[in-house]
Amino acid sequence: MLDALVVTGQTSDFPRISIVHADRENVAAALERLTGLALVWESSTGLRPLSAVPDALIGAGSRVRPFSAAGDPADAERRLALLSPRARALLEHLDNGGGEGTTGGARTGLSPEQAETPVEELLAHQLLVARDRTTVLLPGEVAVALRGGHTTAEPVDVVPPLATSDRDAALIDRGAAGAAFETVRRIELLLDLWSTEPPTVLRAGGLGVRDLKAAAAYLQVSEPTAALLVEVAFAADLLAAGPNHEGDPCWLPSDAFDGWCGQPVEQRWERIARAWLQSARMPALIGSRDPVGKARNALVPDLASVFASEARRMTLAELAGLEPGQVLATGTGVPSLVARVAWQRPRRPRFRDDLVVGTLEEAATLGVSGLGGLARHGRALLDDEDAAAVLAPLLPSPVDHVLLQADLTAVAPGPLEAGLARRVQLVADVESRGGATVYRFTPTSVRRAFDSGWTSGEVHSFIAEISRTPVPQPLTYLVDDTARTFGNIRVGMAEAFLRADDTAALAELLHHPKAASLGLRQIAPTVLVSSTPVDILLPRLRDLGVAPVVESPDGTVRVARRDVQRCRTPRSRRADGLTIAREQAHVAQVVTAIRAGDRAAASRPVVPAGTVSSPSSSLAALRAAIETRSPVWIGYVDNHGTSSERIIDPVRVEGGHLTAYDHRSDDIRSFAVHRITAVRAVDRRG
Amino acid sequence: MNDGPLIVQSDKTLLLEIDHEQAPDCRKAVAPFAELERSPEHIHTYRLTPLGLWNARAAGHDAEQVIDTLLSYSRYAVPHALLIDIAETMARYGRLKLEKHPTHGLVLSSTDRPVLEEVLRAKKVQGMLGARLDDDTVAVHPSERGNLKQALLKLGWPAEDFAGYVDGEAHAIALDESNWKLRDYQRDAAESFWHGGSGVVVLPCGAGKTLVGAAAMAHAQATTLILVTNTVSARQWKDELVRRTSLTEDEIGEYSGSVKEIRPVTIATYQVMTTRRKGVYRHLELLDARDWGLIVYDEVHLLPAPIFRMTADLQARRRIGLTATLVREDGREGDVFSLIGPKRYDAPWKDIEAQGWIAPADCVEVRVTLPNSERLAYATAEPEERYRLASCTHHKIDVVRSVVAQHAGRPTLVIGQYLDQLDEVAAALDAPVIKGDTTVKERQRLFEAFRSGEVGLLVVSKVANFSIDLPSAEVAIQVSGSFGSRQEEAQRLGRLLRPGEGGKVARFYTVVSRDTVDADFAQNRQRFLAEQGYAYRIIDADDLGPVDNVG
Repeated sequence: MLDALVVTGQTSDFPRISIVHADRENVAAALERLTGLALVWESSTGLRPLSAVPDALIGAGSRVRPFSAAGDPADAERRLALLSPRARALLEHLDNGGGEGTTGGARTGLSPEQAETPVEELLAHQLLVARDRTTVLLPGEVAVALRGGHTTAEPVDVVPPLATSDRDAALIDRGAAGAAFETVRRIELLLDLWSTEPPTVLRAGGLGVRDLKAAAAYLQVSEPTAALLVEVAFAADLLAAGPNHEGDPCWLPSDAFDGWCGQPVEQRWERIARAWLQSARMPALIGSRDPVGKARNALVPDLASVFASEARRMTLAELAGLEPGQVLATGTGVPSLVARVAWQRPRRPRFRDDLVVGTLEEAATLGVSGLGGLARHGRALLDDEDAAAVLAPLLPSPVDHVLLQADLTAVAPGPLEAGLARRVQLVADVESRGGATVYRFTPTSVRRAFDSGWTSGEVHSFIAEISRTPVPQPLTYLVDDTARTFGNIRVGMAEAFLRADDTAALAELLHHPKAASLGLRQIAPTVLVSSTPVDILLPRLRDLGVAPVVESPDGTVRVARRDVQRCRTPRSRRADGLTIAREQAHVAQVVTAIRAGDRAAASRPVVPAGTVSSPSSSLAALRAAIETRSPVWIGYVDNHGTSSERIIDPVRVEGGHLTAYDHRSDDIRSFAVHRITAVRAVDRRG
Repeated sequence: MNDGPLIVQSDKTLLLEIDHEQAPDCRKAVAPFAELERSPEHIHTYRLTPLGLWNARAAGHDAEQVIDTLLSYSRYAVPHALLIDIAETMARYGRLKLEKHPTHGLVLSSTDRPVLEEVLRAKKVQGMLGARLDDDTVAVHPSERGNLKQALLKLGWPAEDFAGYVDGEAHAIALDESNWKLRDYQRDAAESFWHGGSGVVVLPCGAGKTLVGAAAMAHAQATTLILVTNTVSARQWKDELVRRTSLTEDEIGEYSGSVKEIRPVTIATYQVMTTRRKGVYRHLELLDARDWGLIVYDEVHLLPAPIFRMTADLQARRRIGLTATLVREDGREGDVFSLIGPKRYDAPWKDIEAQGWIAPADCVEVRVTLPNSERLAYATAEPEERYRLASCTHHKIDVVRSVVAQHAGRPTLVIGQYLDQLDEVAAALDAPVIKGDTTVKERQRLFEAFRSGEVGLLVVSKVANFSIDLPSAEVAIQVSGSFGSRQEEAQRLGRLLRPGEGGKVARFYTVVSRDTVDADFAQNRQRFLAEQGYAYRIIDADDLGPVDNVG
């Protein structure tokens, strides 16, 4: 906090130290330390901070600005006394808010009497300095005056007290050990699940919300707890992203997980807890909204902060500072711890407070602390001692037996030894987990054991061996009953079967020296199976001198016949009628055209070639033809320049176009009038 | 590490090791707040449920006590989250109170304003509340007392009901203990009910629940409405009341399908109460026919849903529920809690048996193999036909005959589901049969004959499942049941557990067809028996002779 002083007085003389709200000795000691760190040096006029220090401090959370050039707190105090209550309140608000504010266009250069708004009043009293048109600053001397002549309103050398209460130290340890055991168990359970059904890695990295929800439901914990477990597993390198069978990126247990599973619980816990302590990640933020409003996913890369590990260590160190048997009081304990950590490192970003609270919750979940106090193994963890050894005696010791009951359950009254647990899980289903495990025998679970190669004798002796109580009769019966039906029906693979009523013939075939390659096997006196496909088997059997017939899938005999190959008769492409109709139409069209041509030629005017009728006379002739509804002969040049002669029945003339029935094409056509070279009347006889 | 008998699992089950020296103490400490789920021979399983914890709160236990019990008896560390959960759940009970207000009648008040605010904003509750009287108090429409309690339980803030009860029309009832004595646990049960006001008493079949009801009536000294499952059990209640109390036959009325009497003490059946004509419950007026001071619900776990709705309107009357189990196959335990009341007394089956009040039982499952022809018929049958086919195999009749022969001279019941099968069995054994269509008179005659020893063998359908007192039965043979219902199993076993003279051991045989759904259902029921602490054996029908000679 002393650096605030350094900022305040650019060139300080010793008396100014009084503005630090603390004991004189403490201030002197702190100054000594600052000098020692070479952040402050003694110049001829007094103490001076390094010129880089103010720059580094302002903007990094320092609440005080340097004094303005002519600044004097005493003077500022005098001017403060003149303020209206509204202005004073505004000033204090501004001070709390960081000493900088924006105004909506306050006028500057006014006298106090002219001021209309509190801001203008403050500006007029020179208690605020306008930096530009909209921003105002609170000068350092004013801030100091506001806080009663000190850089802080509160004394800075008084350590904020922690609210504590007393609990039995053994109870703390046991509570924490319980949580530690649960943590290890849950991580193992989850990663076991994920090794068969891994969740995919999101495109942006991280774990999908749905997968996290599913994990939480599976582990019977809340989502934040599940997120924490996933995160610590990740931090402890037990979980990593890797490709699944299809090559898609998935979250998979790493190969370190296998080694970890083989370790005793306390060592497994130490690995997790240590990873958590050193991790820069902030699991507490998972599920909260980022500034853009998107929910944060677990395991995303940007969920790390350099402050996380430090905040965690400091929080735990504060807890460790408590006497054994003292814990944070419920309700008030956590805020007091936050205040304590804030006092020690005041210049951390604002989310540090959340980190402290998060740390406490995480520590309780992971079993580093219990009932709000640091457990002994947590202390050892913090001091880098052998935490596992401290934790070990607190954990339930592994047991090597179960208690069998008539309702077909087996209760392991503690954690089973690792190998044993896996074997019991093969024969029975897990019904309840925790310090103890409840298993249930069902026909399905017993069959599962048979499936993996156990015999009923083995199951019986295994059950008898692990049970400390007599095996109940119903369980014996269940195993026998399952064994009775197990393997009753056998399934195998074969390419073909051979059956015959004549067992001797089959036996002969089976033992025929040349039949060895056919892969024949007898499954009943009258049935053989073969590993050779039918199409190869048949000729081979015929070679061996037997005369087999083939059965179709429905059991009827398929008579063998040489395969004669034929193709399909091609279909004629078109029906005759259609072709004829088309041809007739075509002929009719041509005849029409020829006749029209003949008529046109017949009615060709006798005027010498080259004499062209004028458009106006053509038009008149056409109009006349329209009125009389008589056909005319026209000479026409189309847009390719080809001239033709046609007989037409004009219908109308409009916009330079003639619409007419054209005898040649047997259709209504449109002609450009200007291209009509000549028009002659034709007599109607056609 | 502690060396306690209790293991607290993270899924909220408690495992209690019975052979541990502290086990009896631990059981006493745990019983008030945890539901006994299974009690096989070595390890009993209790479960912590919100209802159980609220029951404990209602009985005056607090969270600290519960947590202390867990911590001090637990062998391993107790999961931290579980402790927090217990404390939070228990703290929810009693934040809201239903009270009598001198001027406003019934009010809902709270010591915790945010909770009250939360509740007031819930849509379901809004219609039931009246004006806000002050910051912490809201008026409640008296008719909504039950519905409100139900709704609040659903919201997770169960209210404590301090509103008291109407006394009802006074009527002198006293226990007539001239030639019998009320057992200690019966007295305790009745007293703890009376102090609690309303609630449920859980006692195993055969433990004398009727007498607890009678004792409760003696406390109430008021007109009483008794709701029972069927007519036969109504008659039995009547007989028992006449025999054990100062009530005379004229003071007790029966309200059933055939007779409709309303007297100071009226016994009505669920069936008549829930009969509807044109969508209207016609017999609801019975509830208002008299100013009842006490309502007794027999077999609460069978209480039909319409009765719940009626009960919601009866919150101002004292209610006592009697049952062997709080487990309802329809999962409406919460309604029992909010409408009838919290559990007031509970005694585990085995404890009462140990005291000699109910008979110990030996359970045997006999498996018969279906002959090939029947196996084929079974395999090709429609799924809904399968159970009937499997359970009605003729082989069972041979088995029944040989079991009956082995226990010749001991009163025996053959219980079944399918009437054809029962007729066949009855014909083969030459025994009388009681079915649904047997007249009540005939039934009573046969039951009486059986009780007196005149008839040594009785074939009964499921009409005998409930509340029929056949204390002399020593052997029961179950040939078919209703699809593995656990409740039914409890009831049938209950037939046998009425104490006889001189330390008899009851025998309970179940005949099932192997490799069929019958066996699957049997497994379900067997599991229930084992969970109740009854060891059972499975034997093949072929081995029946020799095995039983040993036993």
